[in-house]
Amino acid sequence: MLGVGLHPFGRFGEKDVIEIGREAVLKAIDDAGLPWQKVGAAYCGTVFAGPMAGNKVLARVGLTGIPIVNVENACASGGSALREAYQSIAGGFCDVALAFGMEKMPKGFIAGNPNDWFAVMGLAVNPQYFALKARWHMATFGTTEEQLVQVSVKNHRNGALNPFAMYRKAMSFEEIAKSQMVNDPLRLLMLCAPNEGGAAVVLCSKEIAKQYTTKLIKLAAIVLDSPLYGTTEVPHISVSARVEAPTVTMTAAQEAYSQSGIGPQDLDLVELQDTDSASEIIYTEELGLCARGEGGKLLDDGATEIHGEIPVNVSGGLLSKGEPLGASALAQVAEVVWQLREEAGPRQVKNARVGLTHVYGALGNCAVSVLHR
Amino acid sequence: MLVASETDTVNAVPIAPNLFEFSADGAHLIGSRCINCGEVRFPVNDFCPQCCTETTERIALSRRGTLYSFTVQRFRPPPPYRGSENFQPYGVGMIELPEGLRVTTVLDDNNPEGLSVGIEMELVVTKLFEDEVGRDVLGYKFRRVNS
Repeated sequence: MLGVGLHPFGRFGEKDVIEIGREAVLKAIDDAGLPWQKVGAAYCGTVFAGPMAGNKVLARVGLTGIPIVNVENACASGGSALREAYQSIAGGFCDVALAFGMEKMPKGFIAGNPNDWFAVMGLAVNPQYFALKARWHMATFGTTEEQLVQVSVKNHRNGALNPFAMYRKAMSFEEIAKSQMVNDPLRLLMLCAPNEGGAAVVLCSKEIAKQYTTKLIKLAAIVLDSPLYGTTEVPHISVSARVEAPTVTMTAAQEAYSQSGIGPQDLDLVELQDTDSASEIIYTEELGLCARGEGGKLLDDGATEIHGEIPVNVSGGLLSKGEPLGASALAQVAEVVWQLREEAGPRQVKNARVGLTHVYGALGNCAVSVLHR
Repeated sequence: MLVASETDTVNAVPIAPNLFEFSADGAHLIGSRCINCGEVRFPVNDFCPQCCTETTERIALSRRGTLYSFTVQRFRPPPPYRGSENFQPYGVGMIELPEGLRVTTVLDDNNPEGLSVGIEMELVVTKLFEDEVGRDVLGYKFRRVNS
């Protein structure tokens, strides 16, 4: 990982999404410290920026004739672009590759497909599915509404320290606990906001990296999985009650651990898909940071705080940053890179050597990466 | 509230074909069972994503099941959702049916206080909204048994 760059997440009025992407790319190139002409392939993740969005961005960076691939994979778009970039280098097709993503999403909750009868019936609202998982987790493991509030308190407190976050302000327990109920038990301030932003990362072979930096950060694994039969996804009109398959987060994490030779006990920080407070608790379990059903306790023990045993979403997570789909995974990677370089300022995790990122999206697309210095 | 047996006589259309039908004991959802592996799916599907074969048969699903999880939709969903102008919150749940599947559904209930995981629920087919030519558009919901 040679360079990373972000365009802040938030709302930016009339600003063009192509310009948002361009700024992130230019920052990543600048951070990498090499000329744009060295980049041999580019992969762009976006859902809402339209056809050929990646080409439009890079036409404003420089026309160098390289392959540019546009990737749409919902919340895992950026992670998917990163995987392609990684493979192009690992496969020996180029020495330097760029993965980037940007969005300018419509305001409000993401709409369903007009042709889906279940969307017409009112069953295609994403937070419904997060809420169904949350309620099940509460009924099964005793996770509490107070814990759902505390996840949001933590992530907003972290996000207040992140200049790239949308909200950049701490929120009190009261404020979150009394915010509008959206899908019981999830309230407005327990849900992330779709928004705007951009992120870019420059990857290269180890030989090239040594020429440009002394702070080597290795991308030890980047896994993209779709779900096995029998798991509950967003959305789902029916799911098997007979087949108990591991979730896509479990399978992707397992592959990432296996490929990297790094286990959950080795991690110093984790950036995961906190689309809602309950998801953070559930994913800490599915990523193996604690046992099944112990996610609430992990939170209560303070383990997921910045200076806890396994800090989770020190960037503020999606709850504080918002979620521009194509950019979110790459922003997680940028956060981990800054942390491993010890450049994260007031939210720096002490002695951070190994980090993991995780995104999960529509129909169960999931990308997990492991990085270490 | 339309009760299942009444809907046959109303100027009404289902929201989509092959979701539910009516028999002597009332309305039931239509599912498909894989002849190869036995997995049951809803809606009816000619393909089994577990064993990757096209060997399914159409079956009537049980009218009753248990509440696996639930929420209440508190805001009006974005289009293409169609409901009355005067939006009322509605319950959403997953119903575990004896055939071995959980169906996501609108609940004919919007008070989370009266709902809990594991309670018995039953199917109703009911009017969702009126279409452009004044016909009732019917969909399925689940409600508490004896509610």
